[in-house]
Amino acid sequence: MTNITMQHNLKIFLLFAKNALRVTTQGRLGIIIFTLGKIVRFTFMFFLLFFIFSKTRVLKGYTFQEAALFYMIFNLIDTISQILFREVYRFRTLVASGSLDTILLKPYHPFLRILIGGVDVMDVILLIPYTLIAFYFALQGHIIFIHFVSFFVLFLNAIWLATSFHIIVLALGIITTEVDHTILIYRDMTSLGRFPMAIYKEPIRSIFTFIIPIGVMTSFPPQALLGTLSLSGLLFSFVISSILFYGAMSLWNFALKRYQSWGG
Amino acid sequence: MQCYFQIFIVTLKEYFAYRLNFVLWRLRMILSTLITLFLWMGVFDSHSSFGSYSKDRLLSYLLYSSLVTAFIASSRVSSLAAEIQNGGIMNLLLKPFSIFGYYAATDAADKLTNVFFGLIEFSLIIYFFKIPLVAPQQIGWFLLFLVSAVCISFSINLMLSFVGFWTPEVWAPRFLFLMLVTFVSGAYFPLDLLPPLAYRILLFTPFPYLYFMPTKILIDGVQNAYFIQQIACSLGWAIGLFYLAQIVWKKGIKDFSFWGR
Repeated sequence: MTNITMQHNLKIFLLFAKNALRVTTQGRLGIIIFTLGKIVRFTFMFFLLFFIFSKTRVLKGYTFQEAALFYMIFNLIDTISQILFREVYRFRTLVASGSLDTILLKPYHPFLRILIGGVDVMDVILLIPYTLIAFYFALQGHIIFIHFVSFFVLFLNAIWLATSFHIIVLALGIITTEVDHTILIYRDMTSLGRFPMAIYKEPIRSIFTFIIPIGVMTSFPPQALLGTLSLSGLLFSFVISSILFYGAMSLWNFALKRYQSWGG
Repeated sequence: MQCYFQIFIVTLKEYFAYRLNFVLWRLRMILSTLITLFLWMGVFDSHSSFGSYSKDRLLSYLLYSSLVTAFIASSRVSSLAAEIQNGGIMNLLLKPFSIFGYYAATDAADKLTNVFFGLIEFSLIIYFFKIPLVAPQQIGWFLLFLVSAVCISFSINLMLSFVGFWTPEVWAPRFLFLMLVTFVSGAYFPLDLLPPLAYRILLFTPFPYLYFMPTKILIDGVQNAYFIQQIACSLGWAIGLFYLAQIVWKKGIKDFSFWGR
């Protein structure tokens, strides 16, 4: 991609982000109540962890600080995904109404609109406390520089995985209109990542690590930060994200070829 | 009654119009039960009890609670808010049935679907993961609390939808309520594990009577000295909230106006 194309795409992305901000800030009461709901959910889930650890020192070999770190990193990855990919939640309406046609006809990649065209700034507010709390728990342990570097790389890898998952959701939204809530299925699957994958029994653990790599997305970064992830695990995560991204883009291209508009 | 029965049948049929959607929805239900179950099973790897609960009782609580939650939480009343916002409620008002009756019939179909498939999922989870299950106790009292919980849930859901009469922000309050109720109604853990003061304060709210109390009766039967007070609270909330929902409905429909339909 040339420099001019990248600048052009960035300009379009910023334009969509600005518009999304304008739309979001029209309903101020909604912003406040939604943010409050997310804070309530986070607080209660954190309390559940704290409550469990008030009566048990370890959970599958993890201390409270380690389990809390897993939970905080999951929240960071999940929140950043929601910030970037909120537009995916509205995709099915575009397909059903035929409005997707007008997007496909535009002289820019459709992902600029349907994937990252609706940045959700409400969740940006929550990133700050999540990051601070994650840092607090990370500093409780003995973190060395190389662990932090591998964590950072795997964190970016997790966002890449999330991107692939969202592209798959978009593709499924075109291929089948029988699924109302593909994105919610994705959210339910990723909620497995709130806790270390070690707590799940087989075959759930293997399915959600090797086949649907939720474990790679949410458990590998904190494991790297704690220094418990092997080099083969690190390499495996890049291999799986490349395979998933290739699969997602192939599915998207297949979906586009099968796409038949109606109603527009 | 015939028209409500037809509404019930049509709602049931709607579920099977999109079969893939239906299968994936049930998969989501299984996943959400398994997440909580595995978390607590991890706790019992190194402990034989948690507070006053043995492994068998706590895991049984979680499984029964998932069934009770599936029954009580399932509701179609949330669509009423959208009907108010887009004026579709006017079509319902013109028809020869009550709004409350209409949504009670759709809820009944939703609950039947959830409990039927919930029982299948419940059995599969017990079979595949070898969960030790405590036998259900005192079904009669359980059913009384269950019916009361259904009334409480129905009334609260109605009032959350009636918010649409006054503001376009209908999903945000419902989202906040769902987040709150999931934790303080005993879906994730038995509420009597909380510190006694917190537990006693919660018992004055309607939330423990939604999921916790019916499940607790199923696990332990009638055991404590406060049982009569708990029945009185549960029934009091059910009746009180229903009347409150009627008052809010009358106020809302009086203020409501629409155009273009």
